[in-house]
Amino acid sequence: MLLYLHVPYCDSKCHYCAFNSYTGMFHTKDAYFEALYKQLRHLLGQTDEPIETVFIGGGTPSAVQAHYYEKIFSLLPRSGIEITAEANPGSATGEWIKQMADMGVNRLSLGVQSFDEDKLRFLNRAHDQNMALEAIEAAKQYLERVSLDLIYNTPVDSKKLLQKDLDTFLSLGLEHISCYELTPEAGTRFADLTLPEGSFGPLIKEKLERSGFGAYEVSNYGKPSLHNLGYWQYKNYLGVGAGAIGFNGGIRYYPHSDLNAYIADPLFTKKERLSAADMEMEKIFLGLRSSVGVTSENPAVIKRLKHLADEGKLIEKRNRFYNRDFFLADEIALYLLK
Amino acid sequence: MNSQNIRNFSIIAHIDHGKSTLADRIIQECNAVSDRELSAQMMDTMDIEKERGITIKAQSVRLNYVKEGQEYVINLIDTPGHVDFSYEVSRSLAACEGALLVVDASQGVEAQTIANVYMALDNDLEIIPVLNKIDLPAADADRVAEEIEESIGLDCTDALHVSAKSGLGIKELIDAIIERVPAPESKNEGEVKAMIYDSWFDNYLGALALVRVFDGEIKKGDNILIMNTGKKHEVNNIMYPHPVKPVDTNAIGVGEVGIVVLGLKSVSDLAVGDTMTLANDPAKEPIAGYEEVKPFVFAGIYPIETDRFEDLRDALDKLKLNDASLQYEPETSAALGFGFRVGFLGMLHMEVVKERLEREYNIDLIATAPTVVYHVHLTDGTHLKVENPSQMPDPQKIDVIEEPYVRATILTPNEFVGNIITMLNNRRGIQEKMDYLNEDRVMLVYAVPMSEIVTDFYDKLKSATKGYASFDYEMIEYREGDLVKLDLKVAGEDVDALSIIVPKDKAYSRGKDLVAKMKEIVPRQLFEVSIQASLGNKIISATKISAMRKNVTAKCYGGDISRKRKLLEKQKEGKKRMKSVGSVELPQEAFLSVLKID
Repeated sequence: MLLYLHVPYCDSKCHYCAFNSYTGMFHTKDAYFEALYKQLRHLLGQTDEPIETVFIGGGTPSAVQAHYYEKIFSLLPRSGIEITAEANPGSATGEWIKQMADMGVNRLSLGVQSFDEDKLRFLNRAHDQNMALEAIEAAKQYLERVSLDLIYNTPVDSKKLLQKDLDTFLSLGLEHISCYELTPEAGTRFADLTLPEGSFGPLIKEKLERSGFGAYEVSNYGKPSLHNLGYWQYKNYLGVGAGAIGFNGGIRYYPHSDLNAYIADPLFTKKERLSAADMEMEKIFLGLRSSVGVTSENPAVIKRLKHLADEGKLIEKRNRFYNRDFFLADEIALYLLK
Repeated sequence: MNSQNIRNFSIIAHIDHGKSTLADRIIQECNAVSDRELSAQMMDTMDIEKERGITIKAQSVRLNYVKEGQEYVINLIDTPGHVDFSYEVSRSLAACEGALLVVDASQGVEAQTIANVYMALDNDLEIIPVLNKIDLPAADADRVAEEIEESIGLDCTDALHVSAKSGLGIKELIDAIIERVPAPESKNEGEVKAMIYDSWFDNYLGALALVRVFDGEIKKGDNILIMNTGKKHEVNNIMYPHPVKPVDTNAIGVGEVGIVVLGLKSVSDLAVGDTMTLANDPAKEPIAGYEEVKPFVFAGIYPIETDRFEDLRDALDKLKLNDASLQYEPETSAALGFGFRVGFLGMLHMEVVKERLEREYNIDLIATAPTVVYHVHLTDGTHLKVENPSQMPDPQKIDVIEEPYVRATILTPNEFVGNIITMLNNRRGIQEKMDYLNEDRVMLVYAVPMSEIVTDFYDKLKSATKGYASFDYEMIEYREGDLVKLDLKVAGEDVDALSIIVPKDKAYSRGKDLVAKMKEIVPRQLFEVSIQASLGNKIISATKISAMRKNVTAKCYGGDISRKRKLLEKQKEGKKRMKSVGSVELPQEAFLSVLKID
């Protein structure tokens, strides 16, 4: 069982962001963390499965002082599992990182996005290059496992810019990087943004793999995050917090995503029951976008899997089929599912 | 009603020249509908007709009018407004004694109008020239009247000036109909003869025949004989036609029109042009002019989802109930599976049928490029008709191929003549006539192979002339052609549905263009796809569509996997509109790619 905790507070809203996040709502922090505690305790009481990984995401978890997390951690195992927290360079001070590490966080995911000043401004990020480098140094001081997020395919990107960003990353001696392609989402400032044609994805992948950062998912490179991998392995997960989705036994749970509604009723969830076909489809596209791979009981799908293996698109190992090019994951999934 | 007080007329007009509006205005003037019932352009009853501004089925209405204390019945007999239905137009005109020739006074005579006027003259109709839209600032009645005299040779001294939109001159127009259109007269006293000039299917009443009585009387309860089919039926009911509410009657006599209810399940026994007579006292001769329906254009129609073949058959069967001209036979394509070879009267007919199948019966379809019927004479002395290019025999076995020619009439402003002549030359047209109707308007008459115009000629003509040229055609004869079959291979496999017949001297350039067009249309796939054009075993053009580089959303929001699944399901739906040929998915338009090349 994986555990995802959502902290929806941010100091500012990035132009591309479609996550459930709020600025100017910090006055609700106390009540929110109280609700988080309540929901987490409730969910832990309902499952026998041990928690394998924890991921504290946002929003910006570092926008909330570390002591707010104490009660939450009192419900979690002290050691032996991967506990990741997201943080932004603008708010992840050495002090905050140290306190979080003391409570049990052993992996930090820093939302750097780029080291280029123009690109950071274009994205409306709240930090600059120096703040990013300082936060990374601080993280390295207290944690062995540090990851960066990077965004690509923005209109300001060029091959040169991305290579420079990647060179900076590679010079820092970190273990992991997530490279996300910008997706213009409805309701964001970038909703109608025209993106450059083509994709820098393959270029990024090639450079990282050459430097020893193997891809284990379409956006993720280096030493795998067990939490992320768990999603793609189709493990069950608890979702705690406003809009934090959970999944258990073929049912997906959706708590209130509105901050105040969640605080008022943290135990409420809307349920989505997945059909066998839904789950088959999800396992296929998740397996194809990651190193998890795909297997099937359906003869028609198996026939197509074998055909793709013959054509060199997939690699077959012990009745499991692994994608050779994650960038084709959806196309291959559509081919298998037609 | 004494036939002396009956007037039967139709309206000849080009699209947009105000035919439907004028019809509505005449109906209103005769108080045949209440204001509440008067919806705009009530004579067009099908959705597709309203959307496209054309009339596919002939409609009719019986109107009452009083002039100088005398009661008259005037039957407005509408005609289909498209060249594909010229036979139906000729039969509607044959049901009349007169016709209004309506010309937009701000524009002028159009090709289609001329063709229909000739048809009316062939039927000895009294033609009343009517200049419509006379109140527009751009109206130039004298110029247009002169044009009518020049192009048709019709005296326009007594042309009427009307505005259908404002109602100006409508009363005078109806008076003129009564004064100038001859009353119907029986020429074969003692016989009963009525002509079917339209038929359609009604969900409650079954197949209905719209007839015009020429001799005698048809009564409720009569046993009638349809002369060309030889079938006998009983008359269940008769109604006077009306756009909102038909009125029951016991009998219709000389000169009258009526809807005859026979309780039939299909219109196929009620062919347009056929003669209705009494079963126990039949007429000696049927009414002249009847022709069996003959499709000019054929195309393969296939369901995208192969398991919907039976649904497609049911849908065609249902359309056939109401469209006797629709002909189809099952056929098999190696590439597309089971489908039908469907014969159409023309391109519009094909589009309408395809649209109705998709819209009303919800079947996603692949239509192959339309083709004409080739007459192939083989070296062994036998001959055959080829309606499907993939069935063209091997060249060694062929002695001669003949193809149908049409006579195309085009009216255009002078400035576009050069472009049009070039277009016609490129399409193997042979000039028969070029007349200046006045300084600015030119009439071109060409003999052109039908295959060159069934595809996209009309669209190309419109764009080459900014919509100012009008066009009409009629079948003339079969002529010998130097033709070959061009095949297309996708991923190394022949796609029979993409074969076309082309002139030999254009085969190379057509092959090259077709391959290039396919490269534009076919999206990238998981695998590299080769596209080749071949003549026999010889590849004349080839290209490759390189494999797809990327199709994945780089971001999958943590636990929100349902969202991602739904996005993928949407993509899956989109792919359903593609046809798998081998391992390649071809979009619908790929099968019409031949229409998109010059």
